[in-house]
Amino acid sequence: MNATDTLPLLEVKGLVKRYGGLVAIDHVDLRLRSGAITGVIGPNGAGKSTLIGLIGGAVVASEGSVRLDGRDVSRLPASERARAGIGRTYQIPRPFLDMSVEENLEVAQYSIAPFIRATAAREEREALLARTGLADVAKLTARALPLLRRKRLEVARALALKPRVVLLDEVGAGLVDSEITELIRLVHSILDARTAILVVEHVIRVVRECCSRTTVLNFGKTLIEGPTADILGNDQVAAVYLGTGGVRETLMADGTVPAADSAIHVSAPEAETRVLAPLTAAVQAEAATAPALQLAGICAGYGQARVLQGIDLTAQSGQAIAILGANGAGKTTLARTISGVIAPTAGALLIGGQDVSGRPPHQIAALGVSHCMEGRRIFPTLSVQENLLIAARGADASTARARLEAVYDLFPILAERKSQGGTSMSGGQQQMLAIGRALMARPRLVIFDEISLGLAPVVMDKLYEALALLKKARMTLIIIEQDVDRALALADHAYVLEHGTIALSGTPRQIAADPRLRHIYIGAAEDAATGEIEHAAG
Amino acid sequence: MSEAVASCPRSGYAPARGLVEVAALVGALAALWFAPDFAGDYWLQLGFRTCVYLALAQGWNLMAGSAGLVSLGTSCFVGLGAYVAFGLLNHLGTPLPLVLLICAITGGALAALVSPALFRLRGLYFTVGTLALAELLRLLMVNVSAFGGATGIFLQEDPPALPVLFRYALVVAFVASLAITLCARTRASVIFRAVRDDEDAAAQMGVRPYRVKLGAFVLASALAAMAGGIQAVKLGVIEPYGMFGLQWSIDVLSMVIIGGVGLRLGPLVGALLVVALGEALADYPEAHIAIAGVILIVLIRFAPHGVVGLAAKLPLTRRVPA
Repeated sequence: MNATDTLPLLEVKGLVKRYGGLVAIDHVDLRLRSGAITGVIGPNGAGKSTLIGLIGGAVVASEGSVRLDGRDVSRLPASERARAGIGRTYQIPRPFLDMSVEENLEVAQYSIAPFIRATAAREEREALLARTGLADVAKLTARALPLLRRKRLEVARALALKPRVVLLDEVGAGLVDSEITELIRLVHSILDARTAILVVEHVIRVVRECCSRTTVLNFGKTLIEGPTADILGNDQVAAVYLGTGGVRETLMADGTVPAADSAIHVSAPEAETRVLAPLTAAVQAEAATAPALQLAGICAGYGQARVLQGIDLTAQSGQAIAILGANGAGKTTLARTISGVIAPTAGALLIGGQDVSGRPPHQIAALGVSHCMEGRRIFPTLSVQENLLIAARGADASTARARLEAVYDLFPILAERKSQGGTSMSGGQQQMLAIGRALMARPRLVIFDEISLGLAPVVMDKLYEALALLKKARMTLIIIEQDVDRALALADHAYVLEHGTIALSGTPRQIAADPRLRHIYIGAAEDAATGEIEHAAG
Repeated sequence: MSEAVASCPRSGYAPARGLVEVAALVGALAALWFAPDFAGDYWLQLGFRTCVYLALAQGWNLMAGSAGLVSLGTSCFVGLGAYVAFGLLNHLGTPLPLVLLICAITGGALAALVSPALFRLRGLYFTVGTLALAELLRLLMVNVSAFGGATGIFLQEDPPALPVLFRYALVVAFVASLAITLCARTRASVIFRAVRDDEDAAAQMGVRPYRVKLGAFVLASALAAMAGGIQAVKLGVIEPYGMFGLQWSIDVLSMVIIGGVGLRLGPLVGALLVVALGEALADYPEAHIAIAGVILIVLIRFAPHGVVGLAAKLPLTRRVPA
């Protein structure tokens, strides 16, 4: 089809956004056609979320125009653009926390149609909640939802506007394969002849299976634009963005097993290990005898809901432990129990041989446990550097400075942005900050909860290189991860959670070879279908 | 803390419950209408004060609890209502019901007039802006001799008898409660709360935050001006320091916080408690202020949702969510 056949539904021309001297978006053009899904990919901090903000009206453009169906909406505030038919999601979800899930949708419904009949509105809501898999939590407050459910709520809320242009900002992050299949189905179901969809995503499978055309942003500029297949095969794109991520993609679904014996696939020069030295605690004599972390029959949950039902787990000092499992299996709850955020209702939690069950989080942190939480939890009023330094309280100035330098070596972008507000950076950069902050306390044991969520594939490569270095420096790592291959490649031992119990445990090689792992992640019924999609797409 | 908030029952709008509330309001109005036939002057005085406070607190609760606007400008609109009422009564001899209506319109109009400037300020800055507005009006009244200057104005006619005044105040409180019920028990309530919780996210849902905040501010200001009008008529004499005094703003704020910000029964419970406390300690004015302060501090520390929020958390009164 000729590209100039139809007028684009949404046309972005020469869009520029400057923050002082920093150009976040530099003359970007974009055309979204009705009935088409367009992808935007690019490294962390390339300006993807800013672009969505500019189109949605949350960010005011310095230059350039946004036209919706031929009408210039560049000067309109966000509320008017929403009413004109632009629905967006936030990468870091912003639900109305004290409202129920249902009421969150009502806001959109009643703002665009204040006099809609109550029964019609309810039917619409129920249909939307069923489509986005939120029907069972309709009456709960949004505050009670975990991160991934909040992301779905973002989508549901945007759809409640009945938008003509839907902007999805990293809604696939943190999902396991079967959920990504569902998401892809959902995105396709939103699309009709009158609608255009823009997908910003690091999960390449979503881009590959949804988007007909893809734009790559780099440093705020359009690096390349074209049909998705060409873009993903492009060498330049591989260099700035994909890294090895594109290749790794298919390993799980087509059944091939990652090479488990390449446990540490980074041959780090000694100098690099020394760089990280300020961040790693000295190995202690007693550590050799007592395991760094031991859980015996741990049960925990929230109120009535018992999430963990008898977890036994051991991490020797200096080991990397991978914790795998589908969303909702209890991985984050396990992490929160170890760091003391939730007190276990039964069982014993031992750190370095010392029973700490029921101790408050700050006492557990004092024993050298650091928790890099899911969802980043950056302090918005503190600068990047202050966010880092707050984790090194108690250390003298020169020690803190040495650790700071080590973190900056690990993530150079943080050094560049050190005086900026913590949450003013892009989502992926905030993730780096969260990791850096966890390391600043010079912990003996770090829990990384979904740290690769929202990171560009090429950054994930770097991140795992860094983790390998930390492991070499004898830090104990607990890694909760959806990217099974990467996690298994690094781990000495892996546990697979299912419904709050440990379904499988063993060496990475055993786990990777175990057919039950695939079953837990994908579900037997979907095995064949997913495999086919992968083959067709690959 | 976050768990506490999450478990605190928050009822959404429900049309059926709205009708029940309206019926309860009408019932209360009808019952209290005949209070002057039974109650003595002392109780009518208390009732009058409670009604005036309730009208103010209802409006303030809508602004702070539903739209996130914390105002210290209540006194500005109370004072405005008082001066407008005296002007109309002294110079035009306007009948009192019409006077109160015009007070409300003037209050709303002033709110709409200053909102372009005030709404540029968010959060605490808005609060400080409203405080400045009250101060501005007070200084205007002090310095313009046509408004009586610092000595104030006398009401030329005799004010109506206490039972009549009580019924006026009762109607003012009724109108305020009814208006707030309409805001809290209809679809408007989710829109208000959306703006309070996250203005930017609300805008992305198509909500126009400016209009929503303006609506709440205008309504609350109209109610405050109406309450100010009836209060002035009862006093018979007004002067700028009293009618534009910060005390009005502080009283309203403490009532709503003591009762429970953003909760439907908060203003009523708060107004009753503040009036009762004032009476109990009437002989010890210094102790009164100190004790009220301590109560405020204790409540903010241990019951951030006020007395009503605390009661809702007790197992006996907790309702099963619908």
